[in-house]
Amino acid sequence: MKHFDEFSRPEEYISPFDRHFRHVIRTYLEKEVVPYRRKYDEDWKGHLLIEPAFDKLMGELGLQKSLFPQEHGGWGLANSDYVFRVAYMLCEELGRADTGMAVALAVTFWPLLVIMVEPHVNDRLIKEFAPMFCNTKKAVFAANAMTEPQGGSDIENMGLLGGRTIRTSARLDGDEWVINGHKLWPTNSGGVSRLFGVPCTTKAGSNDTNDFAFIYVPADLPGVTQGGAYEKAGMAADKNGDIWFEDVRVPSWYRAHGPGKDADAFYQLIPFGQVASCAFLTGAMLNLYERLYEFVSTRTYNNRPLKENDAIAAIIGRIAGDIDICRILGHEAAMIGDRRNKPYGRPLTSEDVVGRVRNIKDFVSDRAVDCFGKGMDILGHYGADRDWDIEKHWRDIKMVQLWMGGKQLCQMEAARYFFNCETL
Amino acid sequence: MNRNVDELFVYPKQWMDEESRSVAALVRQWADREIISKRMEYRENYAALFPEKRKKLCLDIGLQRLTLPVEHGGFGWSGIANTPGILTILCEIGRADAAVAAIAAVKYAILATISLDHNRDRKLCETLAPLYAGDDLRTPALILPGAGMSGQESPLFRGRALLAGVHSVKGGYAVSGTNLRPLFGGHLADLFCVVCEGGKEGPCIAFVPGDAAGVERGPQILTTGLNACVNADVTFHDVLIPKENVIKGDAAVEELYVWLNLLLGGVSTGAGTNFFEILSDWSETRVIKGRTMLKENPLCASVLADVAEEIALAKLLLYDLAELITRPEEWSNGNHKRVFTYASMIGSRVQQSVTRAINRGLELMGSAGYAKEWHAEKHWRDVKTIGSILCGVAAEAPVKMDTARFFYNCTEI
Ligand SMILES: Cc1cc2nc3c(=O)[nH]c(=O)nc-3n(C[C@H](O)[C@H](O)[C@H](O)COP(=O)(O)OP(=O)(O)OC[C@H]3O[C@@H](n4cnc5c(N)ncnc54)[C@H](O)[C@@H]3O)c2cc1C
Repeated sequence: MKHFDEFSRPEEYISPFDRHFRHVIRTYLEKEVVPYRRKYDEDWKGHLLIEPAFDKLMGELGLQKSLFPQEHGGWGLANSDYVFRVAYMLCEELGRADTGMAVALAVTFWPLLVIMVEPHVNDRLIKEFAPMFCNTKKAVFAANAMTEPQGGSDIENMGLLGGRTIRTSARLDGDEWVINGHKLWPTNSGGVSRLFGVPCTTKAGSNDTNDFAFIYVPADLPGVTQGGAYEKAGMAADKNGDIWFEDVRVPSWYRAHGPGKDADAFYQLIPFGQVASCAFLTGAMLNLYERLYEFVSTRTYNNRPLKENDAIAAIIGRIAGDIDICRILGHEAAMIGDRRNKPYGRPLTSEDVVGRVRNIKDFVSDRAVDCFGKGMDILGHYGADRDWDIEKHWRDIKMVQLWMGGKQLCQMEAARYFFNCETL
Repeated sequence: MNRNVDELFVYPKQWMDEESRSVAALVRQWADREIISKRMEYRENYAALFPEKRKKLCLDIGLQRLTLPVEHGGFGWSGIANTPGILTILCEIGRADAAVAAIAAVKYAILATISLDHNRDRKLCETLAPLYAGDDLRTPALILPGAGMSGQESPLFRGRALLAGVHSVKGGYAVSGTNLRPLFGGHLADLFCVVCEGGKEGPCIAFVPGDAAGVERGPQILTTGLNACVNADVTFHDVLIPKENVIKGDAAVEELYVWLNLLLGGVSTGAGTNFFEILSDWSETRVIKGRTMLKENPLCASVLADVAEEIALAKLLLYDLAELITRPEEWSNGNHKRVFTYASMIGSRVQQSVTRAINRGLELMGSAGYAKEWHAEKHWRDVKTIGSILCGVAAEAPVKMDTARFFYNCTEI
């Protein structure tokens, strides 16, 4: 193999956007991010290095407007036939450079998808928020504020719990929603976001999805307070913190779609998040391959290059094999998303699609965690060394396995779907 | 957690004498009072507090001189009968802070090659003991063989490249080697213990004072974990050392590996034990599905079981190794290679087990496991760092080769 690009992906799945766009993004990342990423960990609080990199990527290159329709200054990607695959490509390239950066960018799209992808389109809200993202050269972030102090998994476990555990409340008062609650950990919190998508309940303790509301809250409204960023094991380019909503008032039409439809539109975020997670992982794994290739070609055991020793070759061969399989699976997951209601499968918001895509993400994250762990061990005395980049990815990608309800929720959704379990 | 970890993770206490038990209890107190109960303060001010906490342990409690013979000013834990005791101490320190423990493990492993009753090197003890029995905090660093460079034929220790060398000069030896990577602590080290090529007699161990002329340190290296044991590459430009600072022969190097596998195993198991405590608290306070305590969910319980199993079995294996070291005749007719092989196998297995335990345990902690505030992630990083550094190069492959050589008499691998 001559290049990491030769890891498999189904050629017929590649979107028309791919070749040129991938090249632009890769060139940018190799110039502006890769040379500096080893310093990102120490920049977790100030984002003095990270912020300018985002400004160029999201503002100047314009990625933050890509979902919006062209008539509002965007690129119209949300309603293309290949939004999942373009997102995959973008997230894979970003993941190869820095998965923390990848998630910060991808999550900006996340709450916006709730109002932009057919059949759940809300033109009024699109028009309302388009200028925030399309009329500036500075990076603008959004967040999907699901997780609450008592637990994030339950909120994502819509199939079983139907939003029963959500404590953030929305009360209609005239033509305004009044929001109260406490969210924590969303990507792009910690003072970064200008807009929050907030899953709330209109009736505490209810598991009727009609009582689930997805409401947009601009970050600068009175009553919104954000805490500072948490210090984490990795993913420094993503800030996470607390958000408190105290009698925050937004216009009633800031609710995404209305009873029932909000839950359905929100549920499609799960496959999107899982596909993006797969892409972060395979991107990072491509970089693992690159860095490992250098090490095993230039370092020796028994005076022969590591890669020429049969026992070591078996380990690195397995790593490369896993990368290959994961990349195929990741593209498959993206294609499931893009086919939506077409012959391949069922609606994006069905348990079928959500379960399958979660399943792929669970598999890919397990393989990634394993491959990076092995990769560090291959490097031995150099495994924990920041200069070899593998350890940074190892720290960063662990979180991909843990977020969005974690591994166990993936396993439960798979069991529920494949075995028709009724009580899990 | 309101349960005693000693009752959960059992080990044969009868292998420890009264004195060992009381020193272990003292270290437990230090761990709980100085570090575990002050985690927040310690984390926020880690760089400053690290030396202070080490001083308390090494100088006030006196662990720095623990394994030195009495006649050299030590506490006299210099017989192999003390092995289970030393292991226990390392587990206790590791439970509090793997970085403090890793330095201690390296220190004891180095001293074990020169100060035990059966291998005592009086001259070297006379040189080094005053330093380690003194009032200043000491930090030795260890340079082991590892990966060689393509295109260069290196002398080998069991397939691993020896990148440093000694040659005899007037008045002693000259040590040379470029950009050598200590396991950890290279930036702080006041003594380097270097496994070198020693000519006809095979590999040897050279003791190089950190302030000797010709020792050059590179910039500080950022690492995944053990950040307080700041590392740096080291170059030796024909550094002159006295003759007695070199111990020759395979056996000494093997002994070094044996101790390192045992003691770093103790460090990781200790860290794993504290991770268990953190996870245990989490599993008793976190509720899922709106009503079920995490530990009462069968899937979570099975992951919790995995975590406990890995740590419990790792600990038992380590005490078996300690016993093997203590009574080599009973276990192995005093066969050197056998002890070396078992130490490598157990060392590697223990690191993998604890790493797996923490990796799995983190799955249950969601974001809390990833936040510095909970401290679980520090154990995860520290243990992974120890594991990959201990394997030296190429993951488990070199240990597998050592094992295959021993069990199957392979001669060409
Ligand atoms: C870098 C980063 C980015 C993040 N981004 C976002 C974001 O954009 N938006 C957001 O809202 N949150 C975000 N999070 C939070 C993250 O998604 C949650 O932490 C995650 O969903 C798990 O929730 P929790 O931590 O509250 O754990 P809990 O929900 O308390 O779950 C803990 C554990 O319980 C077990 N468990 C849960 N449910 C079940 C079940 N049904 N069956 C069996 N076991 C179960 C699992 O092992 C799980 O790991 C982010 C976190 C990080 C660190």
